[in-house]
Amino acid sequence: MEKLVVSVNGIPEQGGVEATSVQKLEPAPQKRKAGASSGSPLRKFATHIAPPLIVLILFLGFWELAIRLADVKPYLFPKPSDIVKAAAENGHNLLVSVRTTIVEAVLGFAFSVILGVAFAIVLALSKTVERSVYPYAIILQTIPIVAVAPIIVIWFGAGMNAIVMIAFLIAFFPILSNTLIGLNSTEANMKNLFYLYNATKWQTIWKLRIPAALPYILAGMKISCSLSVVGAIVGEYIAGIGGLQGGLGYAITVASTRLQTAYLFACGLSAAVMGIVFFLLINALSNRLLRSWHDSAING
Amino acid sequence: MNSTMLAGSSPGMPAPSGEPSGILVGMQNIGKTYPNGTIAVQNVNLLAGEREFLCFVGPSGCGKSTIFNMIAGLTDHTSGELAVLGTTPKDARKQNEIAFVFQEHTLLPWSKLIDNVTMPLTLRGVSKKERIQEGERVLELVGLKDYMKVLPRQLSGGMKMRVSIARALISRPKLLLMDEPFGALDEITRQTLQDELLNIWCSDRKMTVLFITHNVFEAVYLSTRVVVMTPRPGKVADIVDIEAPFPRTDDFRSSPEFGGYVHAVNESLKH
Repeated sequence: MEKLVVSVNGIPEQGGVEATSVQKLEPAPQKRKAGASSGSPLRKFATHIAPPLIVLILFLGFWELAIRLADVKPYLFPKPSDIVKAAAENGHNLLVSVRTTIVEAVLGFAFSVILGVAFAIVLALSKTVERSVYPYAIILQTIPIVAVAPIIVIWFGAGMNAIVMIAFLIAFFPILSNTLIGLNSTEANMKNLFYLYNATKWQTIWKLRIPAALPYILAGMKISCSLSVVGAIVGEYIAGIGGLQGGLGYAITVASTRLQTAYLFACGLSAAVMGIVFFLLINALSNRLLRSWHDSAING
Repeated sequence: MNSTMLAGSSPGMPAPSGEPSGILVGMQNIGKTYPNGTIAVQNVNLLAGEREFLCFVGPSGCGKSTIFNMIAGLTDHTSGELAVLGTTPKDARKQNEIAFVFQEHTLLPWSKLIDNVTMPLTLRGVSKKERIQEGERVLELVGLKDYMKVLPRQLSGGMKMRVSIARALISRPKLLLMDEPFGALDEITRQTLQDELLNIWCSDRKMTVLFITHNVFEAVYLSTRVVVMTPRPGKVADIVDIEAPFPRTDDFRSSPEFGGYVHAVNESLKH
């Protein structure tokens, strides 16, 4: 990695200046390598990971202590230790629920990416189509998903299909609108250039507008991936299990009717972790795809 | 005024090689009026022959870029006759004999240099083998052959402009349109690139360059003729023949002859 940086800086355009910058750069990687084995990860831990970790430990300690001292019943407000215990006791059920929800969320998300991008391309190809259709897309988005969900259950039947559909609906719009903005914000100069070199409409789309929109598409995906988890859980609330093993939303409804508050907390936290992991995955994908050329993914 | 312009651009004027030249761009009483009534360009008469290096110089708002856009077919003229390669600008573009360089380098940030310079060929469906071969040729012309696999962001502004020029040269164009290509560069880089561009142009003298600039020195140094334009409304004030021989070097930049031409162009600009 360092070698690459040096060689790029060493481009022999204006000899003198470049040569000195190479000389200056060379000692640095050695220092970094020497420190890499012990000092650098430790320092990163101390500056980046330790502070939030300390806050978390303090928070959990305060929670545990306060509930113990006040002697609140676990079904009203469980302590962290109750939640861990409930999660361990129902470990198998929790795992099954998490798995079900992951499948639903991933499917809903995948559909939203495919259809969101495809739909945005169709809208971007023609201003007329965009002007006539896009307002309705916005209106559809503003209808609360909870209001639409029962209709979807009626149409698609309780269970997987309806849940995936709800996850898809909630994740679709951010992808659509972001992709559309991306496709429409190609630099005018670039478009002129493609036009002047007699590019067809499809060539302009594939070779210019979609790559240029990629940062926007990925930004939409970052929003939608967490939303799809929310959508899946909302879907499970309303559509139930439909003959399958229930997901987290179903587990939450069951736990709340049985006053298993600690397990309810465990399910909620699992959903949160799932959303975070999902986001981190998409974020990593985004950085990987953009890091070579887009400013958002290039860190000094 | 029209008569002097026509005299200056008549086919009999000295073409650099001394050969009789065909007409690549012909403008007769060209005008461009925007729908809101703004007159961008008025009564422009100009003939650009083969192997010419024609610089359009003038302040902003004099219609230089409008002329560029009309020849490229990005905008239509509203009066007069305009012929490019003997046909309309839009049909002329289809012949793949025209190339373009803008002030911005307009490189695709996600594509390696080799893919950037071969883009015009890719759009035409040229085979990969030929593309690579031609890409290596033009990158060598601009001295960047070792950077084929590099992304544009790793280059300096001057190098990006070189790549942009390489991309324009890849289709061996008859007509090269350049819209203030060196406008964003520092003076040292600018002079280096002027020399490189002249070298490339001189080496085979097969293309006509129409070069837009607001820099009088640049115009005089590069061109066989300088078209001096004045604003409000944009029109051609004068055409100055630069008869200094090619190849030109720094000696030309500091010669009294050069100063004389610059003075002549400046005088015309004041009209």
